[in-house]
Amino acid sequence: MHIPDGLIPLEQCIIYYIIVIIVGYFAVRWARENLDEKQIPLLAVLAAGIFAIQAMNIPIPWGTSGHMVGAAIVAILIGSPFAGFLVLAVVLIIQGLAFGDGGITTLGLNIFNMGIIGSFVGFYSFKGLKAVLSDVPSIFIASFLSLFIPAIACALELWIAGAFPLIAGLYFMGIYHFVIGIVAEGLISTTVYIAINNVRPDLIATKKINS
Amino acid sequence: MNITLNNIEQETWKDSIIHNLDGRIKLILTLMIVIYSVYTTDLKVLLLLEIYIILLLLFSKVSISYFVKRVLMILPFGGFIAIFQPFIKEGLVLYTLPFGLTISYEGVLFGILLLSRLVVCLSTIVLLSSVTPLDSIVNSMRKLGFPKEMAMILNMTVRYLFVFFDELESIAKAQKSRCFSIWNRKTSYSWRLKQIAFTIMMLFLKSFEKGETVYYSMLARGYSGEAISYKEESPIMKIDYGIIVLTLIVIFSTEIILLNGFI
Repeated sequence: MHIPDGLIPLEQCIIYYIIVIIVGYFAVRWARENLDEKQIPLLAVLAAGIFAIQAMNIPIPWGTSGHMVGAAIVAILIGSPFAGFLVLAVVLIIQGLAFGDGGITTLGLNIFNMGIIGSFVGFYSFKGLKAVLSDVPSIFIASFLSLFIPAIACALELWIAGAFPLIAGLYFMGIYHFVIGIVAEGLISTTVYIAINNVRPDLIATKKINS
Repeated sequence: MNITLNNIEQETWKDSIIHNLDGRIKLILTLMIVIYSVYTTDLKVLLLLEIYIILLLLFSKVSISYFVKRVLMILPFGGFIAIFQPFIKEGLVLYTLPFGLTISYEGVLFGILLLSRLVVCLSTIVLLSSVTPLDSIVNSMRKLGFPKEMAMILNMTVRYLFVFFDELESIAKAQKSRCFSIWNRKTSYSWRLKQIAFTIMMLFLKSFEKGETVYYSMLARGYSGEAISYKEESPIMKIDYGIIVLTLIVIFSTEIILLNGFI
């Protein structure tokens, strides 16, 4: 889902950068007001952990493999979509600059998709679903949506940029990420959540907020 | 094509005229070339930029096969979109294929343009990351005015990235020694998935716990949340200015020649 340089025209890249800078401003303000100083090193180390987690291949039916993005699970564990945004922004900056995964002009767009849409959709759908469902189905659906919706957004953005037709884009991105969303993001995040809930429930911030 | 984080970092410790340039200069240079190649729609300009990057690569002593491998490794996603263009762009039909597929002239041109842009941008980024250590890239961003909080998180992330990749490698080795493979059909799919989920959970827990330990050790050294980290002073040398001027000359002269229709 990392869109590389060259596919999106410069003027559109600037718009995504502006959105990311505005959300970034609120995220830093949120971090100053709500995080105690302990959580800054935690976010940094967590970003390194997410980086390694994203490098792990997860088998997908059809003999291919996918990987997790982790925006929803970070937002839910830390208790704010801004945390997911900050962690993913750091990961994407390093991936874009040092690995060429994603790009420099498209960095704003990639942070917008995975950091903003992924974290916000994941966190708020989890919060909304928890009102009607229990923890496990809520986290499964929220994590699935946190990958599937950005993939759909990605197809839309490529269409706006004139790089790929809408229907074909929605079809390719939709089907591929539907399966990855269920297996790599949904099932894995749910298992991770259950396991952390069993061994270190104190780490799950959304629990503290709700109680 | 097994290129790990350590391989990338090892390549950056070579000694060459390009490696020794200031990190800020290399970052600005990369930005200039990437932005210009996304801006241009002329294939000749892209060819010229690629030649310039290859010349810099030759001066940098970075192995060419390593460079090509890295570019090829990250090309597929964008390459897929570029290769599809002849079939999806409307225009003058060059060939008609079975199943109602057509190849259009405009599509071929647009596809080549996208692919050339991708190759130039990826070559530039791979060159930057092959001649600049990760912490130097991050420190340069800070020196160029990146927000303090984000720069601090980035800096720490880069430090712990290597710890987690080592961790991941030792987990993978331990699993391999027990004959675990994600493709092994002798075990059930759900069981394999569960093992991967537990590994990811362990990495999550390790990052949380490492984060706490790091915080306590920082606290013991006087960290208060308002810590100032000192940056190494590195004056910009004549050669640094020289390479920026050279790149500007390449970009502006190409643009001026192009505007006047000489090429």
